[in-house]
Amino acid sequence: MKLVNIFKTGMAKTMLVLALATAFTGCKKFLDTARQGGYDEENYPYPGGSGPYDQYIFGAYNSLRDYNVHVDGFINATSIRSDDADKGSTPSDGGADVISMDNFPVLPSSGRANALWTGYYGLINKCNSTLYQIGTNTNIVTTDAIKVQSQAEVRFIRGYAYFMLTRFFGRVPIIDTLFADPAVQNNVPQSTTAQLYSFIEKDLTFAAANLPSSWDASKFAGRITSGAANGMLAKVYLTQKKWAAAMGAASLVMNSGQYDLSTPYATIFSEEGENSKESIFEVQGRADANNPTAQGIQYASLQGVRGAGAWDLGWGWNTPSTALEAAYEPNDPRKARTILYTSTATTPGLTIYGEVTPVGLPNPRYNNKVYTNPSIRATVGNRQGWWMNVRILRYADVVLMYAEAANEVGGTANITAAGNALNLVRKRARGSNAAILPDVTTTDQAVLRDAIRKERRVELAMEHDRFFDLVRWGVAQATLNAAGKTNFLDSRDVLLPIPQTQIDLSKGVLTQNAGY
Amino acid sequence: MKKNETAPVSDKVLLYLKLTKIMKLTSALLLFACLQVSATGWSQEKITLKMTAAEIKKVLFAIESKSDYRFLFTEEMIKGKPRVNVDVVQASVSEVLDKVLLNTGISYKVLGTNLVVLKDGVAAAEISMEAIRVSGKITGASGEAIAGVSILVKGTNIGTTTNTEGVFTITVPDANAKLVITSLGFETQEIALAGRSTLNLTLVPAYTTLDQVVVVGYGTQKKRDLTGSITTVKGDDVAKMPNTNPISSLQGRVAGLTVANSGVAGASPVVRIRGVNSTNSASPVYVVDGVLQDNIDFLNPADIETIDVLRDPSSIAIYGLRGANGVIAVTSKKAARGQTKINFQSSIGVQSVTDKIAVTDAAGFKKLYAAQLANLNAAPFDFTNYTANTNWQNEILRSALISTNNLSISNSGDKSSTYLSVGYNKQDGVVKYDSYEKYMFRLNQEVRFNNKIKVGGEVNAFHWIQNPSGVSLTNALWAAPIVPIQVDANTYYSMPSFQRAQVGNPIATLNRNRGTSINKGFRFIGTMYAEVKFLQNFTFKSTVYADLGFNNARSYTPLPYYFVNLGEGAAPTTTTYDNTIRTSVTQEQAEYKRFQQDHTLTFDKALGGGHKITALAGFTSIYSESTYINGNRRDTTVNVPNNPDFWYISTINSNNPGNFGGGGGKSSLMGLFGRVNYAYNNKYLVNATIRRDGSSKFAPQNRWGTFGSVGLGWVASEESFIKDVKAIDYLKFRASWGQTGNANGFADNLYKPGISNASTAIFGNNVYTAIQAAYIPDPNLHWEVVTGTDIGIDFKTLHNRLSAEITYYNRKTTDILTAVSLPNETRSYFTNLGSITNKGIEVSFTWSDQVGKDFSYSVSPNFSYNKNVVNSIGDNTNFQLIGNGGANLTETGKSIGYFYGYRQIGIYQSTAELGKQPRFTNSLPGDIAYADVNGDGVLSPADRTYLGTPFPPYSYGLNISAAYKGFDILLEGQGVAGNKIYTQRRIANFATLNYESNRLNAWTGGGTTNVEPILDNTRGNNFLFSSYFLEPGDYFRIRTVQIGYTFAANALSKVGISKARIYISGQNIKSWSKVTGYSPEAQIGSILGGGADNGVYPVPAVYSFGLNVTF
Repeated sequence: MKLVNIFKTGMAKTMLVLALATAFTGCKKFLDTARQGGYDEENYPYPGGSGPYDQYIFGAYNSLRDYNVHVDGFINATSIRSDDADKGSTPSDGGADVISMDNFPVLPSSGRANALWTGYYGLINKCNSTLYQIGTNTNIVTTDAIKVQSQAEVRFIRGYAYFMLTRFFGRVPIIDTLFADPAVQNNVPQSTTAQLYSFIEKDLTFAAANLPSSWDASKFAGRITSGAANGMLAKVYLTQKKWAAAMGAASLVMNSGQYDLSTPYATIFSEEGENSKESIFEVQGRADANNPTAQGIQYASLQGVRGAGAWDLGWGWNTPSTALEAAYEPNDPRKARTILYTSTATTPGLTIYGEVTPVGLPNPRYNNKVYTNPSIRATVGNRQGWWMNVRILRYADVVLMYAEAANEVGGTANITAAGNALNLVRKRARGSNAAILPDVTTTDQAVLRDAIRKERRVELAMEHDRFFDLVRWGVAQATLNAAGKTNFLDSRDVLLPIPQTQIDLSKGVLTQNAGY
Repeated sequence: MKKNETAPVSDKVLLYLKLTKIMKLTSALLLFACLQVSATGWSQEKITLKMTAAEIKKVLFAIESKSDYRFLFTEEMIKGKPRVNVDVVQASVSEVLDKVLLNTGISYKVLGTNLVVLKDGVAAAEISMEAIRVSGKITGASGEAIAGVSILVKGTNIGTTTNTEGVFTITVPDANAKLVITSLGFETQEIALAGRSTLNLTLVPAYTTLDQVVVVGYGTQKKRDLTGSITTVKGDDVAKMPNTNPISSLQGRVAGLTVANSGVAGASPVVRIRGVNSTNSASPVYVVDGVLQDNIDFLNPADIETIDVLRDPSSIAIYGLRGANGVIAVTSKKAARGQTKINFQSSIGVQSVTDKIAVTDAAGFKKLYAAQLANLNAAPFDFTNYTANTNWQNEILRSALISTNNLSISNSGDKSSTYLSVGYNKQDGVVKYDSYEKYMFRLNQEVRFNNKIKVGGEVNAFHWIQNPSGVSLTNALWAAPIVPIQVDANTYYSMPSFQRAQVGNPIATLNRNRGTSINKGFRFIGTMYAEVKFLQNFTFKSTVYADLGFNNARSYTPLPYYFVNLGEGAAPTTTTYDNTIRTSVTQEQAEYKRFQQDHTLTFDKALGGGHKITALAGFTSIYSESTYINGNRRDTTVNVPNNPDFWYISTINSNNPGNFGGGGGKSSLMGLFGRVNYAYNNKYLVNATIRRDGSSKFAPQNRWGTFGSVGLGWVASEESFIKDVKAIDYLKFRASWGQTGNANGFADNLYKPGISNASTAIFGNNVYTAIQAAYIPDPNLHWEVVTGTDIGIDFKTLHNRLSAEITYYNRKTTDILTAVSLPNETRSYFTNLGSITNKGIEVSFTWSDQVGKDFSYSVSPNFSYNKNVVNSIGDNTNFQLIGNGGANLTETGKSIGYFYGYRQIGIYQSTAELGKQPRFTNSLPGDIAYADVNGDGVLSPADRTYLGTPFPPYSYGLNISAAYKGFDILLEGQGVAGNKIYTQRRIANFATLNYESNRLNAWTGGGTTNVEPILDNTRGNNFLFSSYFLEPGDYFRIRTVQIGYTFAANALSKVGISKARIYISGQNIKSWSKVTGYSPEAQIGSILGGGADNGVYPVPAVYSFGLNVTF
């Protein structure tokens, strides 16, 4: 009865109201739950000092190691498609998707084409988001000079990504900013190849103008330089047959004093040859026992020797073709550094470390340029070579680009300069053996053109430029058909199909390439 | 019994007498309360009473309050009688009554001590008191005593109830009186005594569920008063199935509820209520005695009293926050009043896989691989050393044991009740060495200080141990059958070179990983509540809950085995050992905490004149938090032994390489709610709910949402013009509309930009931390809203033997919270997008009947149809949602996640035929010919089309039970129709894998087949997603066949057993379907990419024996 009285007096009502009021004032706080164990953009403790944007930029560097950027699709589209390499492994390994990269046509349903698309756009988005941070993030206070240099660094990466996309797909949408409504990004139509090249040139030119020519090698070995930007620019110009511009850009690299041909050819591709004087743009990977894969790239793993037990070094993809084997001049030492032979009953195959390869591996040849040092395998506790850097642009490539461009510009002086540049590369390849790879002495533009193209093939064999070279030289169909890739059609296969998944996601705003 | 306690009870009861035609329960309560004592004569008690112009009823109450006398009468009897004046001092009750009842025509008689029966229009002498005593025992179908059964002499208010032994004694007015025997949950029976003085009776379970109490959220309601769609499944029906997870047993029982089971030991099934409403989570919320849960894995099936499945908007609205995908409310067992019971249940069974996937044997494989190589123009494979014929599936599958055990003790007195239970379940998986054990403890206690205040609490403790299988089913499906298993315990054969890198020896993998993972979890769920009733009509209840979970796992990577690589061609046979693999150990620990509080104030009053109102206001909040850490360390010099005693990180020297991780989460929800239930004359029902919800998942400005519902019901059978229609026993129309907010399954903090620092930049040998936006944030994220309408009809006819519920629903979800894949973008984007409608019909029938004395049976079929349509996927966007690599598409106007691809029309038989048909530019003979859907003469991506839905639109179940004397039999079947299953395991072509048997019919030249394409995995066109990879998902399965026998009670009572039942049961013993996978149960877990069968774990047949004993 007492209880009833309390309620009758209204005391309880008051208590209830008080209790509820307390609850409501607590509401706001109660529902404000901060992220646990992670940062928001606004509370990230951005480091001070010289490179406050570095951490964003490094996000783009991380993506350079992505599987979809420089591993599976990349190896397929740049090398397996060319006459330098076959798919490798066992006949059915990889299925139709990889086999079609070897002998065409690649279908719009290709998972690898789609992976390349998402991989490179992932890279581009990181660049755009870094540029957005530089433009808007008030939590980061720094000098204008650092802002410009930071912009230059990501614009190099973005320009490079668009260059790759353009060479793969021909027409892709230009996305150069973050959209307030991200869904808008879905419906950006494709730009023409010409528009894309103009965009790429702008990014790379800005990068070349605002990047340092070198970084402190003890801290930032392999970080992007103005040399990398000029070298890439040379390739962009070359691709567009802007010969004089290409020659100019290449000579800027050659005159920069940062690079030379002093590294022996045999050393360039081994672990000890990483970030040598030869290196202009090299995707960096490393590994140790703690991190056998996380800080590396799976690039070498796809191409490693496909054996069992200790010889299980990888998938055995991207094997040097018989056409490549035949392309070398007699006794060219570069051949042995490019092709690793499987032992046969009669002939042992030797690695550069003196090991004998097994008999009866699924493939007679493997890519020797990704062969890893067995002592590093043991230290890391992993055989798959995730620590192996990917050589994207090296000095000999620039020298040969210079030679090609100079020869095409023509005129005696230029043709001579072209021949000289070519011979620099041959000289290094020759080493101390005067009996091989004699200097090319011709001044006939057409003969020299052939010589440069042949040199380019063997010097840069398995280095991901051959397919693009054939396309830009206009000889892709003839060459590839002759090499046994009989399905190749210039009218269709010089470009990959726009991935059907992307067309679907865009609900038809993206359109398919001709011939597919 | 103290008088001030009983008075309000009888007051309330009398009102019920007037309000309800059916008064079984209430009269039983009344009699129970009043007729305990049986003696005759007036006591000499004197009372003083003064009342003026008082209703007779009031006077009688006054007498009750001043004396020990109790009155039995009905409202009708005293209705319209004149008011009376009373003014007595120290008068006996008989004197007072004589005065009061003078001129009313009402006589009275004292039946026992202090019990006075009133009767209208009958002389007192005629209120017969011949003192004929009748006694007897009331039992249930299986002979168990039933306590609390009401026995009423027809036409009088004379009655009694049975005691805990089921025994009653009653004094009846004449030897030919009729007794009306009523008990909750049983058929009411009228028995003419015909001179008998002993009456033993077996009650027949009532198949009328109208008086059943169902959970409606912060309260209960009678089924008859519902305006929504709620189906109740009895706990006993769940407990008698030998499943370790109680939800598995709901499959096929409730229209509109889809349960897809998994055979993985201990796995929870996928549950959908009325289709898929959202793109991010479609799972219902579970409410266990008020606590919101994501699963009920921790519950012991034997502890479940009832499971209520709430499906319509008016029922789920009160759960706000989390209820949008439907609610499964579980009420656990508590001790019944006056009960002392010990129950033991146990079952043991054997599981086996009935439908294996047909793959080629060694001969078939050799034939097909040779054909494939020939088609590729590749050199033939040298099979010389591959002489084995291994059936890898048989090697990894086994017959596995399953057992469930439970012991419960319940005890309840006047002041408190206690329920205590202990359970242990163990399930071995049919894939070798997969196993799951769970231990469950539960203590439920309620203390009643008086009938106004009670407090209670519950503690659940749950411990599970899981050892996952070390091998995957696809591994066994894909491994070439030509490889022998092993040389010795440490040396196995590796797969042939064409799949060595991709496929491991399944038995080597299985054995190497055997017992190397120890996963354990602990969970404690505690509840405390206090309930206060005041002012007669108010109840305030406060409840606090805590749910604490701790998981930990330890695992070990053992040394590898030696592998024999059989010689192939030039390659000699070698034995290899991978010396780069060293042992390592991993430890993981996770902690989950959740706190919930509910405070409700309920007002419940019958206002007189037929109006009844129940109003509820409440406040709830949920806070949850989690943390986890994990780490591993790898040996480089010595190896950790294969012994769990060493599987701790500390075993390995800390200078060895290792990785460590950790993280956490926090989120909170809050809600204010109110509900009013109003009923007029039990005929017109109204239910209205309003709820305001806040969630930490949204930015402050979008945090709060207001939602609500209205439900209306009309019990037409209460109308006078229908009441007399014999054919209609019960008829109700109901309709409801409601809105609920939803953010289920959506991660926290997505509205603000987050940073991921998981990546690194490498320069030379230097490692630098990199950061990037973790996702694309949408600051405007807000509630997804589910709006639904329900219209239903419930009826009973043919003397309550046939009952039916038919419901039409239309539910629309707007502003769906979606993770969108953007083209040209790798980061996720979470936003509110578009709307989805689910419309459907649910039909349930039950026919139950008693034939003769000993045989009863019931048949309950149910059926549901759901049509899902995506109304839009965003107003301002122009893109599509694709799932599973493009096999599923979600777009406006079609059902969610439908299969989208090419339609096979045949196989190109020849080059000549190829020229005449639409084709791809690279099509060749032997390739699949697809339909030229757009009719442009060539095949292109534009020819992809609708190929079906992964979500079954039709589902049905059938439940047949029968009992004859001590025997009972149960037969349950269940099925779905109209969906497709994607045999994605067959599309894998990354290596040469073992072939499924359909490939034996592959095309080998003109006219060989029009279905199976050529064996050539370079023909990419044949791997495009098409109807070739789809099969009809329709199936019908015999879910359960169970035969039980209950021993006669008297046979057992000597040994102290009051009830004992044994049974044998078979589950999933037969399925009819065209599905080629292990299980035809649709893979509905993924919403945007559903229906893919990638070697789904078999749902095994289970044959078991069980026992249920009550002491």
